[in-house]
Amino acid sequence: MITKYTSEIFDVLRKGQFICSNSPNEQIQTLYKVLEDDKTFEDLYEYFYQINYILEQGNEYFYFSRTEKNVDLDRKLEKAFGWIDILDFFKTFDAAFDVGFRFSPSEIGNQLKNNADLKTKLDNLKKISADKKNHSDRIQKIIDKLEKDNFITLENEISETYKVLTSFNYLKEIITTINIPEEIDNEIPE
Amino acid sequence: MNTFNDIKELVFALNRESKLISEMFSKRKSIDYKLSDAIELVDNDENRIDFLIQRSVIRENGRILELDDHFLEFFEQVLDVNEEINLSYIDENIKNIKENIEYFLNENNESKRYTYLRFIKKTFRKMGIITLRSVIDLRRNIENTFKNEANYKNKQLKLENLDEKRTFVTNLIGQTLALINEEEVTFFNRALDEELKRIIIELKHQLGECSHNLIEIEKQIIDYLNQIKHQGKFLEKLRKLKYLKDHFTIEAETDIKQVLSNKNPVIFESRLTEPLNISIDFLRENEKAFEAIKRIAKNYKDRKLFKPKLADKISNEYLENSIEEEIMINLEEVRNRFIATSDHLFNFILNYDFLKEVNFNERVTIFCQIISQYEQELIIKDEFQITNGIEYAMVIPK
Repeated sequence: MITKYTSEIFDVLRKGQFICSNSPNEQIQTLYKVLEDDKTFEDLYEYFYQINYILEQGNEYFYFSRTEKNVDLDRKLEKAFGWIDILDFFKTFDAAFDVGFRFSPSEIGNQLKNNADLKTKLDNLKKISADKKNHSDRIQKIIDKLEKDNFITLENEISETYKVLTSFNYLKEIITTINIPEEIDNEIPE
Repeated sequence: MNTFNDIKELVFALNRESKLISEMFSKRKSIDYKLSDAIELVDNDENRIDFLIQRSVIRENGRILELDDHFLEFFEQVLDVNEEINLSYIDENIKNIKENIEYFLNENNESKRYTYLRFIKKTFRKMGIITLRSVIDLRRNIENTFKNEANYKNKQLKLENLDEKRTFVTNLIGQTLALINEEEVTFFNRALDEELKRIIIELKHQLGECSHNLIEIEKQIIDYLNQIKHQGKFLEKLRKLKYLKDHFTIEAETDIKQVLSNKNPVIFESRLTEPLNISIDFLRENEKAFEAIKRIAKNYKDRKLFKPKLADKISNEYLENSIEEEIMINLEEVRNRFIATSDHLFNFILNYDFLKEVNFNERVTIFCQIISQYEQELIIKDEFQITNGIEYAMVIPK
């Protein structure tokens, strides 16, 4: 028991979720403030390390990782591929899709009408939304997937506004870390 | 080309058509203004539009009207909404001042010198305002470009161009200050004029403010450019990875496997439900647990009990008495009859009427059964006879 929030922090992070500084959820915000304190962070790091969880700090977010490999590479690759597809879709929807960006499913739906590129990409995302027929259901499914992984969150239920969380930086970091060798890089058309 | 005869006429004309002009001005960026729309704003009097066209306030191009560049520029400048930053003004003013200073120094006639001095003062005053305004415009333009320009390449180019303008303004400020402080020392010593001194102080103050603003703008631009660069780079990277992924070469040609195997965040793990059992002590002792059990038990109350499946009724056929007759051989009876005779047993059995067909082998079996059951009541002699290939002992009743 290092702070009175220890168990709450554990409960959130253990599910593979992030504690983000810009979360609209007040509870998460409180937890972020607790973790932001260097001393508390160090203490909790030690505390969680005992039970094989590593408390990690990223750019405006916290998450858990493990010392040993619990997941096989195939599953990780599959997940990463899914992210690349979805990210590509949202970046096509709006190049400014980044931390703090706000959007609603209807905006994506509207853009589908006059953005053929976006539509093709939605069609190619069938793997995620296979059982859904109409566009808005499929968009919702894709949004749900990203929300489940805790990169975006529903900020306003009435206007259906979603907000991109700081955990999105984690996705960006993965993408940036992957290295494309120069000779391959040159072969990729613009 | 007709022109307005005097200011009064101009102001009056503008006032009369203020509705049209303000509407055209506010829509100058968004739409092509149609003649038909304009006519409605001048009470359907086409002559009034013709009048403006003749005086070059507006120009007609096909069926589309637009404000003349002179007026447009004038309105934009006066209203502080111009988006183009025209720096040639400052440059030109510096040249003008330099020329006039030279004229002033060469001129001996007091009244002419005074005219030159007045021009110089006017220009200095103007320069301060123009510089300040360009700085403000520059700042607004940078913000607008960064926030509203959708095309990435253009956004970057525009910001770079604005950055060039910023350098240009900085240089002009430097030139102006050099002009005041170093180059024309003689002039400022000779032109002993209070107003000029005040104007110069005011100008220096304004230029100082501009310099500070420019430093801030420079910081802002660098920040924006970096952001764009970063985002652009990221976007490019993402597209490339997507391309490789779609061509199924991403695993072979990038280090994605290595990158991912180095990371073990919990997010990659499938979410496990925890099959923890409830503490029995808790169930036993806790009031709440008991309430919970009662509450849950209620849900089970109206559940249908399991009824065993009933078999069909047994049909009456099976319950009726049925008689089956079989003739059994009563060995007791056979023995009783035998005792009453004087015959020996084998022969007696061989000839006995059993009321049914009994063959020889069976009769032999019955012979053996009687001997073994009633041995005490029979005498088994040591004499033997043979019938049908079977040797048997002579048995007589006692």
